[in-house]
Amino acid sequence: MEKKIGIINRQAPHGSSTAREALDLTLAISAFNESLSVFFIGDGVYQLLAKHQADLILQKDFQPMLQMLELYDVENVYVCQQSLVERNISVDQLVIKTTLLNTEEINEHLQLQHQLMSF
Amino acid sequence: MSESGVVKFSLLVTGNPASSQNTASALQFCEAVLAAGHKICGVFFYLDGVLTANDLINPASDEVNIPDRWAALATQYKFALEVCVSASLRRGIVNEREAAQLGLQHYNLKPPFLLSGLGQLAELSASCDRLIQF
Repeated sequence: MEKKIGIINRQAPHGSSTAREALDLTLAISAFNESLSVFFIGDGVYQLLAKHQADLILQKDFQPMLQMLELYDVENVYVCQQSLVERNISVDQLVIKTTLLNTEEINEHLQLQHQLMSF
Repeated sequence: MSESGVVKFSLLVTGNPASSQNTASALQFCEAVLAAGHKICGVFFYLDGVLTANDLINPASDEVNIPDRWAALATQYKFALEVCVSASLRRGIVNEREAAQLGLQHYNLKPPFLLSGLGQLAELSASCDRLIQF
């Protein structure tokens, strides 16, 4: 049986390269594993917030690459509802289609994974 | 887990070797795993973890040289130290071949670390019983 792998994103998009490189990793792993789940929690939800202008701060605009998740058949993309509420972000401001989960549901989904990588 | 009770571990190391404890903790974890008779499938270095493979790291004499310790342990127990090539090039970790291709005057990848792709992480993830991140 293929392992279920969960990738957790908890950091804001541009202060460090973590978010961008975690997305690189996610897309690469998706070529080898079809049981991926991706989680955006805490400041990680800012990675999905539309209208980044990364070039103004000399960073790479990696948001278009988020669209690749769907193209690579990564369908389990989960966002922490509480994290959105705390940051006054609504679902229609996010750049990709996601599934909203409350804290309890996130914990349930995390427990289903065989392996977790956290960024 | 196999019937013999031997557990196969793969490690993902993402912390900066100079400014975080991550690679040191990962090294000690590896030593403990091997001392207990378990197996290391391989170690994958990503994000700032790739800086561990810099052969030019030269800490003061009263500090531990973590890359040297990794190299010795991996050689003794014959497991691979895989370093993500794209994360490495971004951070100035280059092997002889990449240096020649890119027209760079120097290279600094420490043996026996190997530049490899993220596919190798997928391989290490699939082949182990436990994946541990540092």
